[in-house]
Formats: sequence, C-alpha cells, structure tokens
Amino acid sequence: MIKSVIITHGQLGRELVQVAEKILEQKLDIEAIAFDWQGDGSSMIAQLEKFIARNQGHKVVIFTDMFGGSPSNISTRFINANVEVISGINLPGLLKFFCCGEHNGHFRQIVKKVEQEAKDGINIISEYLGEKK
Amino acid sequence: MIEKKQQIYNKLGLHARAAAKLSHMANMFSSDIYLIYNEDKVNAKSLLGILTLAASVGNEITLQAAGEDEKDAIAAISDLFDRKFDEES
Repeated sequence: MIKSVIITHGQLGRELVQVAEKILEQKLDIEAIAFDWQGDGSSMIAQLEKFIARNQGHKVVIFTDMFGGSPSNISTRFINANVEVISGINLPGLLKFFCCGEHNGHFRQIVKKVEQEAKDGINIISEYLGEKK
Repeated sequence: MIEKKQQIYNKLGLHARAAAKLSHMANMFSSDIYLIYNEDKVNAKSLLGILTLAASVGNEITLQAAGEDEKDAIAAISDLFDRKFDEES
C-alpha cells in the first residue's frame, strides 16, 4: 500500500486535496502539511518523521509544491527505497495518483506515471489546440 | 472489438467529475477501452485523456472496447452517459 502526504507553502496542499476529493467524490487518504512561514521548518520535519514512522512497512509518496522550495528541500532528506518525493504536484498529478487503481503496480512505475500526468497537464492551450488541428 | 455511438446528455459534458466517474468505471474492466471524438482517440481509463477531448453536451462520441468483458464495459459506460453521470435528475 502506498501512503501519501502533501507538503506545501501555506494551505495550497490542503486546498488541492479538497478539490481532488470534490472531483473524485471520495475522501482521500492523504495528509496535508503546511509550511510554517515563521518557523525554521523543524515543525514540518517533525510532522514528516511522525508520518513516515506511522507508515512503516508502506511505500510513501511525499508531494511538494515546488522543487527547490523548503517543503521540497526538507522532504528530500527522507528519500529512500520506500519513500519518494514528487515536486510541483498539480491537480492532474494528484488525480492520477488517486484515480483508477493507479496503486496497482510497481512503486517506481506508479510515481513515474504520476510525474508524467502532472507534466502532461500543463499546456499552452492555443498551441495544444493548434497541434490537434 | 465492439463500438457504440454515444450521445453526451449531461449539461457540463465530459468535465472533471464526469471524467473521473468514467475513468473509474473503465478501470473496473480488463478490456482496452477508448473514446473516439473527431480525430482523437483516448484511453477511457485515463482521466486526463478523457478531459483532452473537451467533449460537450450534444456531441456524439464513439465508445470502443476490446477484451474479455468488452460487452459489459460498453453497456456500463453507455449507461453512465445515459444517466447523465448522475449529475442531473
């Protein structure tokens, strides 16, 4: 089983999860952690440590909002064979992760699929439509 | 392989929530399932793929399935369209 947590600047992650829940019409098994603007990240580290400890024996995906940002940098230190970080998560990526039995398969393949779906979800629409014509 | 023409009846067309329901249902079947609209053919098991069709109310698409449970898949998906994705009474 793959467990997931989303860590973002402010409440971005929580909002993203709420929108995904609305679209998929189900409660999603994901924890949202907000980066504390005033803090040094220690609270976020503690929450992540607890999350990973609580989910020992599971694979864990940590979604972050932006590569190079504090949530992403802090998450990076937790990467190992069972923990992967996907930065720059967006709605298409999150929906891909939770929709349609995407948890069936190899951990590495699943995170690659989510990464690809998130990337594919970004388009300059006029160019996209132009390509389709 | 079987195909069926399908009208879109719900007002919002193949928008996010409808696409989520559709892809969720398609994933319940082992058959390969596709939606064809104009020149585009997308995997019905991909939420984002369905959204790229940007198909609206009144449009007609083609459902295509190939596999052991192709008949059941087309019937179930067609029913979902006919029920307007349970969005409207």
